[in-house]
Amino acid sequence: MQNQRTVADGLRFAVRALVHAVLGGAALVAIATVVSVLGPTLALDLYTPPVAAWWTVFTAVAVQGVPFLLLGTVVSAAIGAFVPERVLKRLLPRRQALAVPVAGVAGAVLPGCECASVPVAGSLMRRGVAPAAALAFLLSAPAINPVVLVATSIAFPDQPHMVLARLLASLGTAVVMGWLWARFGKEEWLRLPRRAAPHANGTATGARAFLAGLQHDFLHAGGFLVLGAAAAATFNIVVPASVLDVFTGSPWTAVLLLALLAVVLCVCSEADAFVAASLSAFPATARLAFMVVGPMVDLKLIALQAGTFGRAFAVRFASVTWVVAVAASVFVGWWLL
Amino acid sequence: MRRYGTAVLLLLTGGAVLRITLFSELYLRYVQAGLRPYLIVSGAALVLLGLATAVLRSRTPDDHVALACEDQHGHDEQEAPHSHHRTPRTAWLLTLPAVALLLFPPPALGSYSAAREAAQRAAQGVGTFPALPAGNPVELTVAEFSSRAIYDSRRSLKGRTVRLTGFVTHGDDGTWYVTRLTVSCCAADATTSKAEVRGADALPADTWVTVTGTWHPKGALGSDEAWPPVLDVTTVTQVKQPADPYEKP
Repeated sequence: MQNQRTVADGLRFAVRALVHAVLGGAALVAIATVVSVLGPTLALDLYTPPVAAWWTVFTAVAVQGVPFLLLGTVVSAAIGAFVPERVLKRLLPRRQALAVPVAGVAGAVLPGCECASVPVAGSLMRRGVAPAAALAFLLSAPAINPVVLVATSIAFPDQPHMVLARLLASLGTAVVMGWLWARFGKEEWLRLPRRAAPHANGTATGARAFLAGLQHDFLHAGGFLVLGAAAAATFNIVVPASVLDVFTGSPWTAVLLLALLAVVLCVCSEADAFVAASLSAFPATARLAFMVVGPMVDLKLIALQAGTFGRAFAVRFASVTWVVAVAASVFVGWWLL
Repeated sequence: MRRYGTAVLLLLTGGAVLRITLFSELYLRYVQAGLRPYLIVSGAALVLLGLATAVLRSRTPDDHVALACEDQHGHDEQEAPHSHHRTPRTAWLLTLPAVALLLFPPPALGSYSAAREAAQRAAQGVGTFPALPAGNPVELTVAEFSSRAIYDSRRSLKGRTVRLTGFVTHGDDGTWYVTRLTVSCCAADATTSKAEVRGADALPADTWVTVTGTWHPKGALGSDEAWPPVLDVTTVTQVKQPADPYEKP
């Protein structure tokens, strides 16, 4: 009895093993054959010119963002690790209504594009700066710093008013957004970036906290930069350029179209003036809107903000900023240009 | 991997940046030349940061790894506390461009992008241009040739032999162009300039060529008929793609 069962078990096992080996082996051979025959042609078929162009634009946006993102995270990690809270509190006026414009003007000191300003604003909030003031800084820094203004004056050699218009419209938008947040903003929309309190055992010295903050902030924001780059590359390849020609007729649609284009193209704020200059078919106000909206609202920036402050915040903030920025550009454009 | 994930990511990203800037000139396919020093510094800083992180982590006992990487990830409140100790999940997206740059660097933009982007005419009105440099033939960028052909009231191109370098693109009914993209910051802002080539047979699209010839005036200055400018060529030579595939504005 016992013996019989063992034999039967052994037999069953052998048969099962044989079946598995034959089926599995056949499947493996089949897969290997298909892959080795079709693989190269399939890879070539998939790597068409649009796909290659997508990869190029995607890596280009990511690569040019890296130095600015790193600069931003170094500054933000340094603020987090070395600047005591009371220093920042003393620098800014206590009343929010005053702190907002001061922070907006202070944006002029951070020479970088928009990737740099998001982590800095996050660490300012962590250090107790009122969100309204930090947000005004976030919006103004990439738009009104000297590098960007010089680039704008080079791109528009015949229109010196363009630089002034850009400065005023961008600063105006930043300050209005700060005030709007101070008046209507809700804390619960903002997933305030917090950093753990220093350890009880005291292992986190300034330098160590700096390193930890730096690598974390860079990697975190870097992931969202990659997301934004993918979105920008997709629009770059999918939206046909002929769309532009349709809308050049009426000044109103031109302003709205370029303001939308600024969102999807994600051109770095240090380069957008050259792009705006090349859109010569559009009226000056529309090109101003392109340069005011671009550094404040674009896909890459929305992704970065969602990563740093939460999605609920990013959606509300970006849409209101877009409206305010368009309004500010139309007003300043009508006044100056 | 969990322990060294952060270090690996930083090393990968920094290594990719250094590979295209310090060890080759591939970065010119993606960004303008002026960014190189900043990219090299960033790449080196990321590699150093990655090494420092790896050393710190290897010296920290397991239960302290949590402390070393801290809980800056604190905004994902709903996650279990342990997940804070890992590398942020979105950060792994960085491997995509990093691996692409390390193993299969994407090519420079070419005829596909040039065709999509209706070639822009340089933003300027009719006016005078600085005198052309001496020399025959005189070497010009495609963008410069194009704007002088259309907008120069002194017609400085007249009677000069010029030499242009760019890639081949095709138009309708057998016309072909020598085309070049202009990049002011990164490849995402590329704009197109082109000149029609007459007097030579077309080559396959995306072939890089240097053409020598004379300007063939047509249309009134600054008008739509003047565009795209035409070049009567005498010689067409195939060349290798230049290190910097784009022109600067």
